[in-house]
Amino acid sequence: MSKLKSFLGYLLAALGIPVILVTFMGASVWMKTFVSITGVTISPWYTGGEVAYTVRHDGYRTEIYTPVFQALIGERDEGFVQVAWTPKGLVPARIDEEIDYNGDGVMDFRVQWDTKTDQATITPYSAYVLGLEGVYALEESHAVRVDLRNTR
Amino acid sequence: MTTIARSISRMFKPKPRKPSPFQLGWGKSLLLALPMLLLTALMTFGQVMSSGQPESLVLLATLLVWVFLNVLFFLMLKTGRTDRYRALLFVVMALGFIVFFMTTIIETRGSLALTGANMVSGETPFCHLVIPMIIIPAALTRTIIFPGSLLAGFASVAGMIVIWTGASLVLGRAWCSWGCFYGGLDDGFSRLLKKPVIKNINRKWTYLPYAVLLGIVLTSAITLTPTYCEWLCPFKTVTEFEAITSIETVIKAVIFVSLFVSLVVVLPILTRRRTQCGLFCPLGAVQNWTNKVNVYDVRIDPEKCTHCGHCVTNCSTFSLDDSCMTSGRTLISCSKCGKCIDICPRQAISYHVKGTRPGAHQLAARLLFLYPAFLFLATFGGGMLISAIWRILRLVTTGSMI
Repeated sequence: MSKLKSFLGYLLAALGIPVILVTFMGASVWMKTFVSITGVTISPWYTGGEVAYTVRHDGYRTEIYTPVFQALIGERDEGFVQVAWTPKGLVPARIDEEIDYNGDGVMDFRVQWDTKTDQATITPYSAYVLGLEGVYALEESHAVRVDLRNTR
Repeated sequence: MTTIARSISRMFKPKPRKPSPFQLGWGKSLLLALPMLLLTALMTFGQVMSSGQPESLVLLATLLVWVFLNVLFFLMLKTGRTDRYRALLFVVMALGFIVFFMTTIIETRGSLALTGANMVSGETPFCHLVIPMIIIPAALTRTIIFPGSLLAGFASVAGMIVIWTGASLVLGRAWCSWGCFYGGLDDGFSRLLKKPVIKNINRKWTYLPYAVLLGIVLTSAITLTPTYCEWLCPFKTVTEFEAITSIETVIKAVIFVSLFVSLVVVLPILTRRRTQCGLFCPLGAVQNWTNKVNVYDVRIDPEKCTHCGHCVTNCSTFSLDDSCMTSGRTLISCSKCGKCIDICPRQAISYHVKGTRPGAHQLAARLLFLYPAFLFLATFGGGMLISAIWRILRLVTTGSMI
């Protein structure tokens, strides 16, 4: 028994080098496998979540994201919705647009944003719209986040 | 100049009283160094060549790093000392990491200050310290609560998780002395003074990492944000920082700098211990448990041990106490740095392969640990060092690191 334990110990110890080599050399494969097996994504609190629908304009488009209320279990009472105007080069310097964030056909707030000075204002049309969370000059788009109260 | 040279030399020179029992002759040392020579060539030059025809400065940096790595490994074999050369590489890696990280961030993002737009775009590099905080949210929401990139870009989430998992399976908590690119900072500062100013540290402090771990895991799960990174990480001081835009960000910056100065600089100097790693780091607390699933450990021969306590007072990570000298085992937090093995006046401490008889085939056990541990440090740290040296060479030749 002790000989078997010794043999297994040395065998596992000798596997150290191949495991380190495989970890580095196969890193790109392991990374993709890890993501596909676990199905994890970056938290929508950081990314803004998924695009729910798009409004097309002349040369540019408005992307309205799915509102984010994610909690560890269930949903939070407050969250935000991200709205992005893209591509950046074709977006007018002054944005003035009404947004229906939940796609129910009723406008929920109005965004007025001078992208040159980053001065933005939100005019809520609904009690569920709490105000402007922030404006973000991203690589491909101009984005705003608007704080919301959860309707559910 | 002579005084500076003497104190640098003292930093990496423990005080062995006898020649190491693991020292080898020139022939054996060269022969045993050969596999590392080839493996490190594969991992360093292979990495550089895989991205096309590299510029001559990159090749020069790679060559310098490769030579440096292999000289250190050869000296480990020849002299039989582990910690002296590990620590030198570990400290250089930490310094190289800072140069590499800061220049890469400035090149990719334009500034070290982290803005809201950087976070929305997933441009925050992920590091291993975040791992304990993401587990519960990932299990329950299938999302990673970190503003980084899963697969693409510099220091992706998946990349860091894969490397940490591989290293932890093989090395356990040796990650903290052979892999962590922050650990070299407090390791280096802990070697500046010849004798500690603060000698007695209550052992109850060694439970603090578990408390920090519990606190950050719970708060991160509740808030769905990595609270250690947002509020407590001392290494923000030497990497990147949240752009100062409010009173909250000022408070955070003050906390980061205070923790860095106290835990990574002042306390290690005064105690000659790695206080950030041993008394605060929450990943260290997780890493302790990985020591259970890997095959290498450090053992004390109770028959040779005279209970002089030299190892207990010199252990950088508080991983030895009086009970260890009787039980023959280190505490769970042992990072296998090799310092106690180097300094034991009775040569009673050695690396060991679990399952084998303690004290048997000590040289084989040492080599079986050193190869994967050094290979990991050389590959992980070598890449950062190559980049850092290339940046420095660029600065010298063109006047710009970017």
